[in-house]
Amino acid sequence: MKLVFYSGGHDFENHLLDTNLLKLATKNPQVTYIPSCSYLCTEDFRDFVEQYGKHQIHNIINFPIDVPFTDILKEEVLKSDIIHLSGGNTYYFLKHLRKTGMINELKQFVKRGGILTGLSAGAIIMTKSIETAGFPEFDKDENDDNIKNLKGMGFVNFEFFPHYRNSKRYDKEIVEYSKSTERPLYACPDGSGIVVDNEMIQFVGKVYCFHHGKKFIVK
Amino acid sequence: MKNIQSTTKKDSYKKFNGLDGSHPFQKILPEGFVGYKARTRRGGKVRYFNFDLAVQMGLIPKDHNFELDKELEKKILDTFAIIIINEFDIENDKKFPEKEIRSGTFMATRYLQLQHKDKKGRASGDGRSVWNGQVRHQGKTWDVSSCGTGATKLSPATAKYEKFFESGDPSISYGCGYAEIDEGIAQALFSEVFYQNEVQTERTLAVIEFEKGYAINIRAHQNLLRPSHFFMYLKQNEIEPLKDLVDFYIEGQRQNKHWESCPKGSGKYEFFLNELAKTFGYTASVFENEYIFCWLDWDGDNILMDGGIIDYGSIRQFGMFHSEYRYDDDDRFSTSILEQRDKARYIVQTFIQLIDYIQSGEKKNINDFKKHKVLDVFDDSFENEKNENILFKMGFSKKESNYLIKNELKLTKEFRKVFSYFERAKSKKGVIKVADGISVDAIFCMRDILRTLPKLLITRKEKITDSEFIEILKSNYATKEDCEINAYRSKMIKLYQDLYWKLIEKSAKHSRQSFEKHILSLSMRASVVNKMERVTGDSISIIVEKLLKERNKSSVGEIYKLIKDFAEIQNFNPSEKPKLQKEVKGLVKQFFEIVKEHREGL
Repeated sequence: MKLVFYSGGHDFENHLLDTNLLKLATKNPQVTYIPSCSYLCTEDFRDFVEQYGKHQIHNIINFPIDVPFTDILKEEVLKSDIIHLSGGNTYYFLKHLRKTGMINELKQFVKRGGILTGLSAGAIIMTKSIETAGFPEFDKDENDDNIKNLKGMGFVNFEFFPHYRNSKRYDKEIVEYSKSTERPLYACPDGSGIVVDNEMIQFVGKVYCFHHGKKFIVK
Repeated sequence: MKNIQSTTKKDSYKKFNGLDGSHPFQKILPEGFVGYKARTRRGGKVRYFNFDLAVQMGLIPKDHNFELDKELEKKILDTFAIIIINEFDIENDKKFPEKEIRSGTFMATRYLQLQHKDKKGRASGDGRSVWNGQVRHQGKTWDVSSCGTGATKLSPATAKYEKFFESGDPSISYGCGYAEIDEGIAQALFSEVFYQNEVQTERTLAVIEFEKGYAINIRAHQNLLRPSHFFMYLKQNEIEPLKDLVDFYIEGQRQNKHWESCPKGSGKYEFFLNELAKTFGYTASVFENEYIFCWLDWDGDNILMDGGIIDYGSIRQFGMFHSEYRYDDDDRFSTSILEQRDKARYIVQTFIQLIDYIQSGEKKNINDFKKHKVLDVFDDSFENEKNENILFKMGFSKKESNYLIKNELKLTKEFRKVFSYFERAKSKKGVIKVADGISVDAIFCMRDILRTLPKLLITRKEKITDSEFIEILKSNYATKEDCEINAYRSKMIKLYQDLYWKLIEKSAKHSRQSFEKHILSLSMRASVVNKMERVTGDSISIIVEKLLKERNKSSVGEIYKLIKDFAEIQNFNPSEKPKLQKEVKGLVKQFFEIVKEHREGL
């Protein structure tokens, strides 16, 4: 199982994570970018292409899933070496991953050895639960789609909190939440993240862990 | 302090004061319009105001926020909430309070309209509109007119029944001189989308709602003259006013700095013809390329002199090339998209006849100008835009497209031909009745193949199979029978991909880029140009219904922002970054879903 969890931030902040990701991949990999929403996705895709272009990767396609697509393109997507789930509204993204059946296809993709990466919302969806998208109050995703089943893809036994800022405002709500779950919650500031290579887990940049109401610095 | 603020605000809206009916046209062509006195129309509420356009016109200051303050609302109502005192009122000796009668005279202009029996424009023109006047700002002049200001004697109803109608007479719907709120909002939405995509159009400045859903819809453009204003004089053999009008138009274009290089002497007429031919060739091509249905006909109505769209009553944008669609206008069917080119060409031919008439003093038969050299200018302009557009749709940048047109024109044209074969493929179901006319369904969605094929080339690096090609291309309108792959279609699929590949190779080689990198940039641009969520006439109607339900809950500023955001989403220029909120929210999100759902329709 090969997974990379990105928190967010500019491409230069994520350079180290990208380098670690590319160590997992074959030379000149085929990459698919799945945006959380087709609305304005071409802008974010352009940034993504620029980011990977710096690593001489040009085999990249954009594959929005909240608009109709053909099986022909979907099959090509599933043959990719790397599939990236973008940031955005976690609830909306999850809704469409489910609606299109892509959630199961991506599980199979990872099982077959494909590399799945996610940024922010995309990374949260790769965990067991997307509850971390719902707080803190001042920086949460709106659940306009009224999603009640908050189960994610469940690849890992931890929870992921992106765009973390080491401040009391954030800590208060995260600490409270961590009391309600058995799983450790890794909070990553922009530019940091987690690389999972089968049994091995590597923390890139500064990562904080919240568990049973306590906060630790992982790295 | 309070007084100072109030004076300052009043000053900042003072340009509205000029919109009192006066217009230079009145002095140049006193017979070219019917002048009406107007009175205040009470009970109006501003429902839409185009802040961006108002800034461009200098009606509000550049730093004005997107909210309608009391002062501005009053100014809009004082300026535009009017109703004409028409012939019916005078005949019936209707009395109105003196203080409610405006001092100016508002003109309903005369122009040719094919729906009028007389066919010479003696009784046709602005049937429910008057011109509010002109404003000048930063070297540009803007014409402003209002639709729904009462029944004029130029309406088809007066001509048909040979009597005058009271404004708002419910027995005569279209001839009653009123407009409706849904027309106004639809026009605001549609015209802002076209404006974003650089399609010439009049734009809606404001919509004022009155009781029973009636409205005054105010529109503006740098020149609201139509070819039909000119053709009327040609039909009536009125050479003097015809010449005055042409000279007036040329001078306006000069003043607005559109035709700065126009010669002063008699060479100006040749310049005028060449510019018109270029404009109408380009416009006809844009309409065809973007599947814009605009009912062009010999009368030169429904279009402005600069090729801009006017009167959105029958305007549509199709999701696919439904080229057989015809609007049913009760006693006649409209032209189809494919006939628009010939109609636009005929308009230019009429202008050639018209200029010859002015210069020679003798009105010759229009057929004498069938092979006039200015028509070659039209044809070239049409062709150039077709070539540029196909390369733009493929995702080539302007620079790449210029190279291909200059060096690979034959290849480009061959590709256009095979593209057209798929684009024009029709359903075997034949002619069907649609909500407001007839059509034969197009079956292939070209935007889908233009968007998807480069992605498949990136991943596979080889051509796709015939059945895959059709699978991607087929729309919801296509039946199994429509999608059959016979030998000819198979040949065309191969040809499409061969030519597509060749054009990319040629461009990549010239750009000194790897094929891989080139196709990636092409794919990114093609994804924007051929966005799945492109607005259609069907989707506009549904969105307008939603917006109207919202109008009591939202402020004018909020409605404006909604329409602005929606138009931004519909900007298909891959070189531009839409200025939008990061996340699609609320109503815009719903609009987005509606557009997706109706993306292949009429």
